[in-house]
Amino acid sequence: MIKNPYLDVLATAALTVLFIIVSSYLVGGLARLIVKWRGATPRKQANTFAGYLFASPWIVGFFIFVVVPLGFSLYWSFTDYRIASGKPIQWVGLENYETILFKDDNFRASLVNTLYLTVIGLPLQLAVALFLAALLNQKIKGERVFRMSFYLPVILGFNTAVLLCWRLMLNTGTGIINQLLRAMSAFQPFSYLMRGAIFVQEVSAAFFLGINNRNFNLFHKVIEAGFPAANRVPLWVQSPLWSKMSVVLLLVWGCGTMMLIFLAGLNNIPKELHEAAEVDGASGWQRFWKVSFPLLTPYIFYNLVVGMIASLQIFEPIFVLYRDNQPLVPSAISMVYYLWQKSFSHFEIGYGSAISWLALLIILVITVIQFRLQDRWVTYDVY
Amino acid sequence: MKRYWQMLKGLILYILLTGATVMMSFPLFWMISSSLKTVSETNSPGIIWVPPHPTLQAYFDIFKNKAFLTAYFNSVFYVTLALAGTLISIAAVAYAFSRIEWPGRNLVFFLMLSTMMIPPQALIVPQYVFFNLLGWVGTFKPLIIPGYFAGGAAMVFLLRQSMAQIPKELDESAFVDGANHVQIWWEIVLPLVKAPLATIATFLFVGLWNSLLTPLMYLQNVSMYTLPVYVSTLYNINLTVQPWPTIMTAAVLTTVPLMVVFFFAQRYILESVVVSGLKG
Repeated sequence: MIKNPYLDVLATAALTVLFIIVSSYLVGGLARLIVKWRGATPRKQANTFAGYLFASPWIVGFFIFVVVPLGFSLYWSFTDYRIASGKPIQWVGLENYETILFKDDNFRASLVNTLYLTVIGLPLQLAVALFLAALLNQKIKGERVFRMSFYLPVILGFNTAVLLCWRLMLNTGTGIINQLLRAMSAFQPFSYLMRGAIFVQEVSAAFFLGINNRNFNLFHKVIEAGFPAANRVPLWVQSPLWSKMSVVLLLVWGCGTMMLIFLAGLNNIPKELHEAAEVDGASGWQRFWKVSFPLLTPYIFYNLVVGMIASLQIFEPIFVLYRDNQPLVPSAISMVYYLWQKSFSHFEIGYGSAISWLALLIILVITVIQFRLQDRWVTYDVY
Repeated sequence: MKRYWQMLKGLILYILLTGATVMMSFPLFWMISSSLKTVSETNSPGIIWVPPHPTLQAYFDIFKNKAFLTAYFNSVFYVTLALAGTLISIAAVAYAFSRIEWPGRNLVFFLMLSTMMIPPQALIVPQYVFFNLLGWVGTFKPLIIPGYFAGGAAMVFLLRQSMAQIPKELDESAFVDGANHVQIWWEIVLPLVKAPLATIATFLFVGLWNSLLTPLMYLQNVSMYTLPVYVSTLYNINLTVQPWPTIMTAAVLTTVPLMVVFFFAQRYILESVVVSGLKG
């Protein structure tokens, strides 16, 4: 067609718009025919036509980009389909799923790593977001500026450029974060705190790595090594024990959306409840846990569901921080990273489809479980 | 006594908030500061907050770098084209769901909301094969065209909520005057939802500008790379000494449009995140 790639795209975009307009008229006309045949009033016919006309960009797209692809990928997940090899598609039944679930160490690693980010990263993220929201809720001057600066990371968020800046800051020897930690560990209580945190983090990471490769050697070694030496600093992007924690750090940094939602929740709590509790002699701490917290649970629930879906789908930070970084890759890859690697580096479409269906199932099951459990702890009373 | 206690509490609060602000915006500061350093300064132990002899060398160099400029142009080009189409189609679909009564509306709307549950990666592989069949791999088309079909159910939902709040009488009287749906949509409803439209445009812009996974899949030629893809190639895992000033300069230039957009749109965003986030 057209040689210049930019003009080519413009032409395709124009054709697409034309296609959407034509198909919208067709869908609208069809809908009108059906209701006319059923004997609707002219007014209703006109509304039906307009409704389907305006909605059909989505309806048409839903079939082209969701229904048909999902059907095909379900079919491919039962086949051996390698797009680059030129061989015909071969039906293999459940073989892909069996391999993934029982033989594929990399998939298990990616699953465990994603789980780590969800089990350890998400609660940290929620806690920091809640803490910042509680601070901002004190009605102080300059709230806007603080709110803005807490939300800024969400906007910059997972841009490759900003992630690379984190990569620079997380360097073990020369990175600014470790240099600051080193400088601060000259002070005694802080030094102990930091060493304790390092120990806890390394033990938990070693435990997860143990699930990864089914031997707990490293876990025992970390326990044996005991409390870290006084000059130890975190090894962020250098050691398998720290690779996931670096991603958690990034997640916590980007907690701005959660914070805004908690802030809205805190604002919605009726003043009278706090005043009544204060009259009854409740301390600030008690008021938070007995009054604010139960009323915040719907917001916590929302953040939990959305945050969990997001952390199950994480890709960019892992790609930027650990792409091809061989010794670290198994300790860091997420489900989506593994899916990308299988489908687009190895071009194993059938296998990739099976992974994506498993990912979909996992996300669905976790979300459904969360909705089932919400009755036990989420309070909707006052609303 | 109580007054002193109050003052102390206020002081602690401000110290905590300022500390958090510093931590949150620190990467941005460090990015700019590092872009003004020399390679040996960025790779040396010891903290250099602000380089003693700031150099703009990296900036001069990057403007001579053809590949970077092409990537910048590609990003601007593709984001503009995708943003325009996506925004208009979202506005149309939101209109259908909020201002018109038609049979099957609730069912279609429910279907749309349920697509938010489908993780995008379940669709990545088949869509890739589909675009491969069309011969679109290696072009910008797969990054732009899907959005034209009202991509992003959450955004449609957000806009629908705002459109539903406009009084119905407005359309009725326009109808009596002989206006059709397209005119009402374009001339009456859309001007009334400018603020949510601005928010959605911002979200779409940020999402497209930051997007890495899809461009990475579809763009195979360096001359087609968008900024995130190109910037990620600047960092080479095999080098012992990374050219950090160059990388950080590219990073600063990549971040500038985001900062500008955030600066102008933050008022709308901060409000509607709260509204949409909860009711979404």
